[in-house]
Amino acid sequence: MKYFARKVGLLLFALFVAITINFFLPRMMPGDPASDLVDKMQGVPPEALESIKAAFGVNTEDSLIIQYGKYLLNLVKGDFGVSISRFPTPVSDVLRVAIPWSLGLMGLATIISFIIGTVIGIACAWNRNKPLATFTVGFFIFIRSFPYFWLGLLFIYLLAFKIQIFPIGGSYTPGIDRTGWGFVLSILKHGFLPATTIIISSMGAWILTMRNNMINVLAEDYITVALAKGLPMKRIKGLYAAKNALLPSITGFAMSLGFVVGGGLLTEMVFGYPGVGLMLFQAVQAKDYPLMQAIFLFISTAVLIANFIADVFILILDPRVRDGGK
Amino acid sequence: MLGDIFKLFFENKKAAIGFFILLFFVGIAILAPVLAPYDPKANKIETVEILDTDRGRRKTVEREKINDFEETRIYTQEETTTYKQYTKKFPLNSAPSQAHYFGTTHSGQDIFSQVIWGTRISLTVGIGTGLFTTFIALTLALVAGYFGGLVDDIISLFTNVFLVIPGLPLMIVIAAYITVKGVMPIVLILALTSWPWPTRLLRSQVVSLKNRDFVKVSRSLGERPLYIIFNEMLPNMISLVMASFFQMTMAAIIGEATLEFLGLGNVSIVSWGTILYWAQNNGALLSGAWWWFLPPGIAIALIGTSFAMMNFAIDEISNPKLRKR
Amino acid sequence: MMDMEKNNVLQIKELKAGYEIKSGFVGAVDDVSFSLKKGEFLGIAGESGCGKSTLAYAIMNLLRDNGCIQSGTVQLNDVNIASLSEVEMKKIRWVDLSMVFQSAMNALNPVLKIGEQLTDAIFAHQDLSRTKAQARAKEVLELVDISSERYDAYPHQLSGGMKQRVMIAMALILQPDLVIMDEPTTALDVVVQRTIIEKIQELQRQFDFSVIFITHDLSLLVEISDKLAIMYAGKIIEFGNAHDVFTDPLHPYTEGLMASFPALTGPIKRMGGIEGKPPDLLNPPEGCRFAPRCQKAMDICRREYPKEYVKNDGHKVSCQLYREKMGENHE
Repeated sequence: MKYFARKVGLLLFALFVAITINFFLPRMMPGDPASDLVDKMQGVPPEALESIKAAFGVNTEDSLIIQYGKYLLNLVKGDFGVSISRFPTPVSDVLRVAIPWSLGLMGLATIISFIIGTVIGIACAWNRNKPLATFTVGFFIFIRSFPYFWLGLLFIYLLAFKIQIFPIGGSYTPGIDRTGWGFVLSILKHGFLPATTIIISSMGAWILTMRNNMINVLAEDYITVALAKGLPMKRIKGLYAAKNALLPSITGFAMSLGFVVGGGLLTEMVFGYPGVGLMLFQAVQAKDYPLMQAIFLFISTAVLIANFIADVFILILDPRVRDGGK
Repeated sequence: MLGDIFKLFFENKKAAIGFFILLFFVGIAILAPVLAPYDPKANKIETVEILDTDRGRRKTVEREKINDFEETRIYTQEETTTYKQYTKKFPLNSAPSQAHYFGTTHSGQDIFSQVIWGTRISLTVGIGTGLFTTFIALTLALVAGYFGGLVDDIISLFTNVFLVIPGLPLMIVIAAYITVKGVMPIVLILALTSWPWPTRLLRSQVVSLKNRDFVKVSRSLGERPLYIIFNEMLPNMISLVMASFFQMTMAAIIGEATLEFLGLGNVSIVSWGTILYWAQNNGALLSGAWWWFLPPGIAIALIGTSFAMMNFAIDEISNPKLRKR
Repeated sequence: MMDMEKNNVLQIKELKAGYEIKSGFVGAVDDVSFSLKKGEFLGIAGESGCGKSTLAYAIMNLLRDNGCIQSGTVQLNDVNIASLSEVEMKKIRWVDLSMVFQSAMNALNPVLKIGEQLTDAIFAHQDLSRTKAQARAKEVLELVDISSERYDAYPHQLSGGMKQRVMIAMALILQPDLVIMDEPTTALDVVVQRTIIEKIQELQRQFDFSVIFITHDLSLLVEISDKLAIMYAGKIIEFGNAHDVFTDPLHPYTEGLMASFPALTGPIKRMGGIEGKPPDLLNPPEGCRFAPRCQKAMDICRREYPKEYVKNDGHKVSCQLYREKMGENHE
């Protein structure tokens, strides 16, 4: 229980820090982007201007504390201001459209990547002296060194341009009838390359982590005892070795979620996939600060919650933690 | 202790290969002016030769007769020089050839030269950030781990929080706000988003070392903390510090490329990331110009692999169970 | 003397085992021979690194990775188990002979209930129903004085002593003829040590299985062993009935060991230690391996490895001090 309470506390505090960073960032940056922007936007309607000013705190009538208070209040109300680049659409609407695409793509791809990676990692550790294992490990070390976005570019070039199996970008064929299987199929076709990019680039991390954990576990005494008892290999590999090696893997997974999500965002940018990542990229290019901030906050929250879920997972899997251990 | 680790390190095949690759790239960076056939930003070769001066010396005279005996003459003399200007424009968007090993960009710049010159920025930013971040992490880890108490609680809390706040979005948002473009901001942004990882790792090692007998003995003997830290603990942390450095550098190189690719860095400098930026922005992919984005990507991957291999080697050295029999 | 062969549970002849490393072979067990009768308790004592654990693993044929048995035979009830394939060995291990491992801290799987760790041994070898297996598991738990309610407990919920008793229960669950115990009490405090040892004795008398008890602490073996073997640098340098070895230690090393722990009764003696370190088993010295540390070492000790001298009633020793006496009794 103590573990659980600590994790909840951490979650809340981290959220608080993310929110506060979001608040202070525009107010802290050198070069005064605020006035810069305001100057540039001469012909912009007054409401947009207000939105920007509020986001930047250029409106200096209220003290900092009051500004912060208003900011928090708006957050709770779900009011993130109005998007500058997609004026007059409110930011929350922009987000609402983009989120499902991101969740679908990144959520699925990450889970698949973790599962496949873990299984391969276990195999690499169990058969560690076989050449295939060594090759697999080396191969993924190499692949991991490529920047995420670059692999995406490579896939686009090979499979969408040269051999035109897959579409180049977007999330579905525009203009297609939204009901019916054709739509679903086109979603799958469009999502295949981005998903594969994410899976292949992040798989390496899970393979290596699981492999190392398994190797450490296999050297433990209880494995020798299991062998001595004459237990079937399947049981030793699974309940004795893998189950123990999985725990630090999940912890590692939770910790690197932020990084994984980052990669997913890049993939969206490269493939023009209309998720949160692409929105962020476009917002940055258009200097649409309210949208940028909202996206940052959303992503942070999502990652924190996912992290928390992983922590709960560990609680379920590891009996030591349940009894108020680490 | 130090000598042992270095010896083990170089005996390890993976480390040796990784180090060799690194050396290779450092060599390229240093010898860039010599190795690159062309100026990375130039899209033509221009030579000017003076053929002849003197060719058309012209003299004009203006005479004014004042009277029978007096006369003024005004002389004007001009000199012309003849130049021969040879211009060779590089082909636009051309595939690799004898003249251009990696082909040319959309505006005719030689990609081979760009990649060579780009090595300088990419390596400096990468290694510089790696050193900087490792240094920060080590300092924080030592302070938190050794002194414990409230200081440790605070540092640990912030480390854990920043560990879970996603790095890329943060990097992007910060970079977007900064109007000063350049290399330094990139280094700072990268350091700011990656310090939690090694800090957490190093801190737990500091804590476990602190509880080891030989440190306890020193403390009870009343040795000064700085002495204990530098003479007793740090030598035992070398392998972990090295591993952290390799990981941070790897992350920095990729991070720099990513930021440049997104146009958040300084796009007028030549680095592997900016090459990719221009490639993407000029539709390299869709015009089939694979030579534009392949070399920088592979260069990044090679350097990344070299650091990954050295990192792997360090892992094997410090954890004998991972070694091959 | 001849028909003793028949009720020998275990007979080891010239066993050599060790580890392959880059620079050569570390001979942790070098030419070890002894035999054990049914229901006998053999204590093996020696310093860390003398090869005791390797011997235990070798008997169980559990040496893996770079460890292996080089030569020799290990006869368990007339079958040379050293020559069996892994498949055949799996059928015998735990059924005819089992082991209690050192450091029960890590010998139990942290994520499985201890009851399951007991029953899976049963399921691996016998075709029992779930309920019957559970009943048997609870039965052995009670045997080692652990309440059967603890069946569902996880290892981290048990104390060190309890974990060790679980390991003993686990070793006995299929009623083997021989149980090897590798330093079972080393990580425990003195009081708990006592209870464990008494429990082992009690169980042994009850079920009549043979025990090989390996330890570096000779004092533990005082009251409970039938036979005693002293091991040094991969070799057994003294062997005999426990009582004989204790009252009449022949080898200087054994004398040194005896002098290192005080007797509870009797006059207060000066405690001695044995100076120096055991030799490197990668390149062991010629001659007697204890010679460098021996107070009574002679020239010949350094040159020639001593032949075995048998005093009365199976009390053997490998020491040059007894060269002359070799005429009296030959092996």
